[in-house]
Amino acid sequence: MISCKLTVQNTLGIHVRPAGYIVNIASIAKSSVELVYSDQRVNAKSILNLMMLVIEPGSEVEFLINGPDEQKVADELTELFNNKFYEDAS
Amino acid sequence: MPLKQETMQRKMFVGKAASPGYAIAKTKLIVRQRFTISQLKIPKENTANQIEFFRRGIWQVKKEISNLRDLTLQMAGKEESKIFDSHLMILQDPSLIDSVISLIRNEQWNAGYAFHLYMQNLIDGFEKKDGIFKDRALDLKDIYNRMLLHLNSGENNFVLQEEIKEGVILTGFSIGPNMLMHFDKEKVLGLAIDSGSTTSHVSILARSMQIPAVMGLGNLSESINAGELLILDGTNGIVIINPDENDISKYKKQIEVFQNQKLELSTMRDLEPITMDGKYIRLNANIERYEEASEITSFGATGVGLYRSEFLYFGRDTLPTRSEQAEAYRNVTHQLEPLPVTIRTLDAGGDKMLSSMNMETESNPFMGWRSIRLCLDRKDIFKEQLKALIEAGDRGNLKIMFPMISSVSEIERAKDIYNDCCTELKAEGFHIPKIELGAMIEIPAAVLIIEEIAKRVDFLSIGTNDLIQFTLAVDRSNGKIAYMYEPHHPAVLRSIKLIVDAAHKEGIPVSVCGEMASDPLSTLLLVGLGVDEFSMVSWCIMECKKIIRSINYDEARAISSEAIKFSDANSINDFLRKKYSQKIKRLGISSFIITQDFSSSDRALIRVDGHIERVGV
Repeated sequence: MISCKLTVQNTLGIHVRPAGYIVNIASIAKSSVELVYSDQRVNAKSILNLMMLVIEPGSEVEFLINGPDEQKVADELTELFNNKFYEDAS
Repeated sequence: MPLKQETMQRKMFVGKAASPGYAIAKTKLIVRQRFTISQLKIPKENTANQIEFFRRGIWQVKKEISNLRDLTLQMAGKEESKIFDSHLMILQDPSLIDSVISLIRNEQWNAGYAFHLYMQNLIDGFEKKDGIFKDRALDLKDIYNRMLLHLNSGENNFVLQEEIKEGVILTGFSIGPNMLMHFDKEKVLGLAIDSGSTTSHVSILARSMQIPAVMGLGNLSESINAGELLILDGTNGIVIINPDENDISKYKKQIEVFQNQKLELSTMRDLEPITMDGKYIRLNANIERYEEASEITSFGATGVGLYRSEFLYFGRDTLPTRSEQAEAYRNVTHQLEPLPVTIRTLDAGGDKMLSSMNMETESNPFMGWRSIRLCLDRKDIFKEQLKALIEAGDRGNLKIMFPMISSVSEIERAKDIYNDCCTELKAEGFHIPKIELGAMIEIPAAVLIIEEIAKRVDFLSIGTNDLIQFTLAVDRSNGKIAYMYEPHHPAVLRSIKLIVDAAHKEGIPVSVCGEMASDPLSTLLLVGLGVDEFSMVSWCIMECKKIIRSINYDEARAISSEAIKFSDANSINDFLRKKYSQKIKRLGISSFIITQDFSSSDRALIRVDGHIERVGV
């Protein structure tokens, strides 16, 4: 299992669209993907679960990824977060 | 969608201009989707049925939303359509599906109530939160409403609170033709509806009843309170909640102009579209559904210049059959006989995806596998359509137009396939009518070889929306560069001139379809460039006719040939304003003075939402 800690860097936080991107990655993964945020642990394949967490900009989240493609999933999520969910075009 | 919150309460919304006219009145909120949700405990043995019912509901709503996405992609662009991808994802959410199924299985609630319980909890959660997260409740409500329409099917969803006493603007999530007829016609001053489009049944009805309407306003009904003052601008597709003094005085003037004009225009309907010195300019209507054919003559149209056949293909899992298509086309050709009807062959692909075909997402859809390219590859689909068209041409005056032509070989291949279809139909015993074939010119490459194309067709039609976009390399749905989408760029106008000259050399007519055709100043310019026909949304036709009847063709020719010599659009617009502004002011054209008066930020929003900014005087 991999633990992957990432910071939310876009200006709006994890609203519908960023949550959708995360689900896109998580739902095609063979591994289980869970997200931990302020003491809550949810299945990252569920867009509603992610939205309900109301993850604010600047916060740190932790992904717990377990399975055959865990490294690949971690890399993809890292890239997604580092690119600010492709939102804040400079 | 909400576009702007200027002061405390003034909110401007932009939707689809579905029926022209203006109204300033209080709102009557008819349906913010009020459901009576039945709450039932079901016997254990029926839970499987309810689960199946729930799954079918999900499946149906997913289908509705994909259709909506297809349409939004086509009408508005990729950005706008993305929200529907999120909605689809929510509908497939494992936690939603599992929770609702467990409420049905373990708590033995009926499907509607189980779904309501789960969603209400979620929506309440979001509504307590701040800012952008609060807005998410609206997305969920949209899904909630759609689902309950299915899970509550058969029950009356609408609760009419009271009868209307004074004139009001009806607002709501959706409104059906039956509902509209339910109200006293004199009291309904306008419609501002969250869903729907210009071709919804209720839009067609509103136009025939002369009630101004704006459709497709997103979540307007969520942002409005009963009895709030509203300005409705059905001509430009604008709605302002709690307008300020400035808005009100501006629109009061507009209403006056419009009323006078309406009286005058009704006398215009049966007059010929002919210039003062006798040049006849054909004014045709654009349609998307055959149901619209019946209304076009009431707007004084001289025929159909663009029937977008792809609407027969959208929003379904299978391709339309030949007989189904023939019937739809016949509905138009027979009904309008002897008026000409130009039907464009399937213009899909790229950004206009068909759910009935397995189409790949492309990285550059506008330049991708679309339109005639798709048809020439998928001859099976193309031939079915061409045969249906030939069958529908047995009466009336049908013309067939091939879109996105970029080379001579494309037009020749399309004609070969057409001829094959004729031969095959003849063998089946059909009589083959004479049908004119034309090319739609919307790619700069086609402009540069226009003489060769003109030799091979019976007419040319200029698709200005794409021609401008490709010539200037500007995606007008991109807000950052939308200002560069300039219909009067000399490169565009000189291209049009080349097309007209080549057509006339071959003795064939040229028409212009696209939004440019319904802008008064552009109309004058294009008439002057020698364009023979226009095709536009039907309710712009009478205004256009009025303009045409007021000008002198030779003079317009002279002005346009001067105009296109300028090296930039601004100079061209200045020159045109100088030449024509007196005339347009005198004519009192109501539709286009208005956008000029908005603040520049309002105007930018209107333009981004796919409306062209009218050039103004």
